[in-house]
Amino acid sequence: MSAAIAPSVPVGGAATAVRLIWRLSVRGMLRIARRPSLIIPTLIMPVFLLVSFSGSFSGLGGLQGYGTDNVYNWMTAYAVLQGVSFAGVGAAGMTAEDMENGFYDRLLLVPGGRLPLLLGPIGYSLLRSLIPTTMVLLVAYTLGSADVAGGVAGVAMVYLGAFGVATAFACLGLFAVFILKSMRALLAIQVPIFMITFLSIGQVPLSFQTGWLHAVSRINPITPVLTMMRQGFLGPVTWADSWPGLVALLALVGFFGIGAWVMLRRMAP
Amino acid sequence: MTAARADDQSADDPSAVGAGMEPPHRGSVLAQAVELSRRSIRTSFRNMAAFIPGLVFPLMLAAVYSAQFSRALALPGFPKVDSFLDFIVPASILQSVSFGATAAGAELALDIEGGFFDRLVSSPVARVTILIGRLAGSAVEALVKSIIVLIVFFVFGARVDGGVGAVIVLLVASVLLALAIGAVGLLLAIRTGSQEAVNATFPLVFVTLFVSSAFFPTELMTGWYQAVAQNNPITWIIDPLRRLVIEGWSWSDAGLAIGLPGALAVLTMAAAVLGLQRKMASR
Repeated sequence: MSAAIAPSVPVGGAATAVRLIWRLSVRGMLRIARRPSLIIPTLIMPVFLLVSFSGSFSGLGGLQGYGTDNVYNWMTAYAVLQGVSFAGVGAAGMTAEDMENGFYDRLLLVPGGRLPLLLGPIGYSLLRSLIPTTMVLLVAYTLGSADVAGGVAGVAMVYLGAFGVATAFACLGLFAVFILKSMRALLAIQVPIFMITFLSIGQVPLSFQTGWLHAVSRINPITPVLTMMRQGFLGPVTWADSWPGLVALLALVGFFGIGAWVMLRRMAP
Repeated sequence: MTAARADDQSADDPSAVGAGMEPPHRGSVLAQAVELSRRSIRTSFRNMAAFIPGLVFPLMLAAVYSAQFSRALALPGFPKVDSFLDFIVPASILQSVSFGATAAGAELALDIEGGFFDRLVSSPVARVTILIGRLAGSAVEALVKSIIVLIVFFVFGARVDGGVGAVIVLLVASVLLALAIGAVGLLLAIRTGSQEAVNATFPLVFVTLFVSSAFFPTELMTGWYQAVAQNNPITWIIDPLRRLVIEGWSWSDAGLAIGLPGALAVLTMAAAVLGLQRKMASR
């Protein structure tokens, strides 16, 4: 693998860094293609979650205040969110694996500075997030007859949210990997990622939630992100439903990104 | 091989097992089964990394669903129930049990991969006790998990209208389902000898549970999904269990709730025994 990266990367400059980021991103995608076991979290799980949530809870569409009578319109954004969460974890998994098998030591010797070692896996996470997002949208349209009232802008919001979440969770995963330096980091981040996505408006609106869940969901940054991603399925895209999600994504990416960068510099000054 | 696993094998040295079972006469089969069961049960409870998620995830799901689906109770067609927590009792128990049920097969596959299985079959141990021992671990783990889940539900106000009888049926059904799933895992382990292959069945168990009446009534589903859910054996087990919880005691529901997982357990265990016999005959 190193032979595919190191010799073709010229020494020094921004061009080197950009090329290294691209090579690391593509290397991650090749990893998926070569490992059938990675197809399950990348492709099968998000589609299954879309179909099973929409199928099991299709009766919710009959409730006043749910926002749509076709539950696929509600669940699509949530299934995309779950899929791109796996993409974020995947970036961490690739880096942790490199550390365990010694390849990361060789990456540290590659010219181009440390930033590509952070942005490369994030790039992989972004590329990978295209797969579940596109697949879930296709299944929602074909199997679930989902209706994108928000048109192209509505679809764009789904992709924008997907990229933001994939980047944020990739940064969180890398933060953990740079501390633990092993695959154990994946276990450490799966629980918080599951919690933050689950304790939100993933399956029902905030007005349906009661007690502790309502309180948690209201302050969960994923809630405005889901509102932003989902708005195109429930009506036209509006700035009012978009900006809180964008702010939440920027905050998540900034917070976890800085954390990952600090830990990388601490691990490899 | 992990340190815990190595420790487990050294603690349960096959020579010691064999010594405890010698000479190989009929009367010792029970002792062999007890010894292998003890080993399997110890393994189940030592592996807390597998045990705890099987408890936490279903309880977490129940907590979230009961806080977000309370309005759904008003939907026409939803069973009359005091709270969503009551509705989800059987699903949470079966979900918890299914999390660890394939472990019997995975452990047997590990024995095959590590060579311990070969040492067992070359010792004077009745073949069937190898399977019984593995299933005992799954059964005890299922029983303990079910009891813990039930206690947590009771603490948070869940009610079982069918009384003590219904609680017993819930526990028995969960153990029988664990045996049925566990025996499928054993059969796979015998056929493939691969832990990875056995573990790959877990998503199937997860899917089977989700595409059923576990979390929402099938009456409120639509189209092909409803048809699949209504014809899912898990639905046939959960529905009578749920009626025992929310409607009260009924002999017919108790019979259904125990009969189906019982029949599944008998069938899958028979298949596992046959699989083992074939494997031994082909050597």
